[in-house]
Amino acid sequence: MKKLVVIKDVSKIYNPGENEVRALNHVSLTIGEREFVAIIGQSGSGKSTLMNMLGCLDTPTSGKYYLHGQDVSHMTDDEQSDIRNKEIGFIFQGFNLIQSLTALENVELPLIYRGVGKKERDRLANAALNSVGLEKRKTHKPNEMSGGQQQRVAIARAIAQAPPILLADEPTGNLDSASSKEIMKIIKRLYSEGRTVIIITHDPGIAQQAKRIITISDGMIKSDIINPDYKED
Amino acid sequence: MGVIREYLKSAISSIRNNKGRSLLTMLGIIIGIAAVLAVLVIGDGLRAAVTGEMSALDVATINVSLDVAKTDKCFTPENMEAIERNMSCIYGLSPSVSLYGNGKGTKKSYNLSFSGGSDALSENGQNKILYGRYFTRDDVNAANYVCVISQISAMKLFGYENAVGETIEITNGDITKDFTVVGIRENTSMDESYAEGEDPSLQGDVPYTTVALAYNKDVNTMFTKVTAYMHKDNKDEAAAKMKSVVENVLGIRGESAVKVDASSGMDSTSDTILNVVTAVVALIASISLLVGGIGVMNIMTVSVTERTREIGIRKSLGARTSSILTQFLAEAAILTFLGGIIGIILGLTLARIACAMVDFPYTVNPVLVIVVVFISTGIGLFFGIYPAKRAAKLDPIEALRAE
Ligand SMILES: Nc1ncnc2c1ncn2[C@@H]1O[C@H](COP(=O)(O)OP(=O)(O)O)[C@@H](O)[C@H]1O
Ligand SMILES: [Mg+2]
Repeated sequence: MKKLVVIKDVSKIYNPGENEVRALNHVSLTIGEREFVAIIGQSGSGKSTLMNMLGCLDTPTSGKYYLHGQDVSHMTDDEQSDIRNKEIGFIFQGFNLIQSLTALENVELPLIYRGVGKKERDRLANAALNSVGLEKRKTHKPNEMSGGQQQRVAIARAIAQAPPILLADEPTGNLDSASSKEIMKIIKRLYSEGRTVIIITHDPGIAQQAKRIITISDGMIKSDIINPDYKED
Repeated sequence: MGVIREYLKSAISSIRNNKGRSLLTMLGIIIGIAAVLAVLVIGDGLRAAVTGEMSALDVATINVSLDVAKTDKCFTPENMEAIERNMSCIYGLSPSVSLYGNGKGTKKSYNLSFSGGSDALSENGQNKILYGRYFTRDDVNAANYVCVISQISAMKLFGYENAVGETIEITNGDITKDFTVVGIRENTSMDESYAEGEDPSLQGDVPYTTVALAYNKDVNTMFTKVTAYMHKDNKDEAAAKMKSVVENVLGIRGESAVKVDASSGMDSTSDTILNVVTAVVALIASISLLVGGIGVMNIMTVSVTERTREIGIRKSLGARTSSILTQFLAEAAILTFLGGIIGIILGLTLARIACAMVDFPYTVNPVLVIVVVFISTGIGLFFGIYPAKRAAKLDPIEALRAE
């Protein structure tokens, strides 16, 4: 298995000095290609900090992060932007769609920043929306859609330019149970299509659906197991 | 390039989503641009109205006067000819003297208001001869009793237009002289309005020497002012040479006794007033543009704050610092560009109405419009820099957390 994410002895310290918070405390972690990982932990355990690190939104205070073999621990803002654009599809708890744009326009955004031409962009964005079953909602704005539909738009946006990693932070946290099921089904399908999926959650019910479960507590990895109950759909 | 188009599109939709606020933001720019443009166009119209008739012709004039406080020299037939010989770039010089009186023709008598001058007067651009000829330098030198009258004068005095060879008996006080009509010239608008007025007077030209002779005046002490006529292309050259030539020929040294006025029809006070008005309005307009620019900066800053989360989302999707910067700069520039366009429409409409009301010609210099478009867009770019930089520098994690 090829290594995709390699984190070596990473720490993140907020407010260094008096009231310092060690949000990540010497964490080491390797995730290979085509893995399905859940990172579970209680509130305040450091999940979001880890996700920001993995998503190249933040850099570690100490330690190294190699993504696709490339050291991304100390990059400029613009270099990080390029890496995010190329390597990572984000799925957020709160969907994070731009309200003034239609579903299609939202999905096109990462392609615009990628510099993809109008025609190809249209094709890719439409394909992504079709694959999450939203072919009839392309011209709708976020506030004209249900939570589940909005999250599907967000997923389409995350996969539109085919990044190797899907990074989902509590993807079902704002959804009712029916929509949750639907979203998890799509995420599992994306995994089975060959993507690496990392889900961050505090919900054991969600974590149980992943193939590998990493438990984090107080900024440290407490356990890292292959899920014995994992079953393919 | 495609990326720029996306920014423009997103900027336009953001402006459209906030129509009312965008319009308020643009107001300062609109007012400023409209004011400058209206004043400049109306000013041009005023200038054109004053100088219009002259500049339409190929003839230009320069007035030369002697300061009687500094010299007792006068223009005489001899020294005027000497000046003309020294200035090949002019058609000639003419002094000016009026001849009023009662003129009797074969048909009727009328009040006359004739201009006395030299044959150079024929070059004043309003003397198109229809019949006969203009009076010549020989007529001037010999002080012949000849005259050139307008078409309408011929009609009134003699009942027909081609009155060449007829005689007008002109009486002024107790002196009566016979003048032979040697030429008929085309009417000017003045001729008709004078001839048809309540107290009609007929127009014509006579040699100044004849006026002096008829009324026992000395041509050598009559004139401290003359007008030089020349092709307009020669005006600058003539204006440059005139003072020293006159000083040399008349033998005046130093003391700046010779005044040369080469201003174009519009007298210098009204020109100054117009310039002052233009400057004041330009100042007010600049302040308005400055306030407008600050308004744009203000609104853009509010917009950046409101859209912090959007900026975070864009950054998480791979937007670079420059992408965000460009997006907000484009938004500010489009805002002021639109303000500029509305201002131009408003300003030109105002100018058009104003020009129509006071009967000025309305012409718009396209370069002016283009410059104004650039200025208004530039204001947006300049005042957009601060908020756009703020947006571009936002930390994506904090921006994503914003409500
Ligand atoms: N920007 C920050 N400044 C200071 N402390 C922070 C910041 N972000 C997170 N923390 C702290 O770091 C720890 C881990 O937070 P976080 O990664 O958000 O946990 P989780 O997502 O698991 O709830 C918490 O104690 C939190 O208070
Ligand atoms: Mg969290």
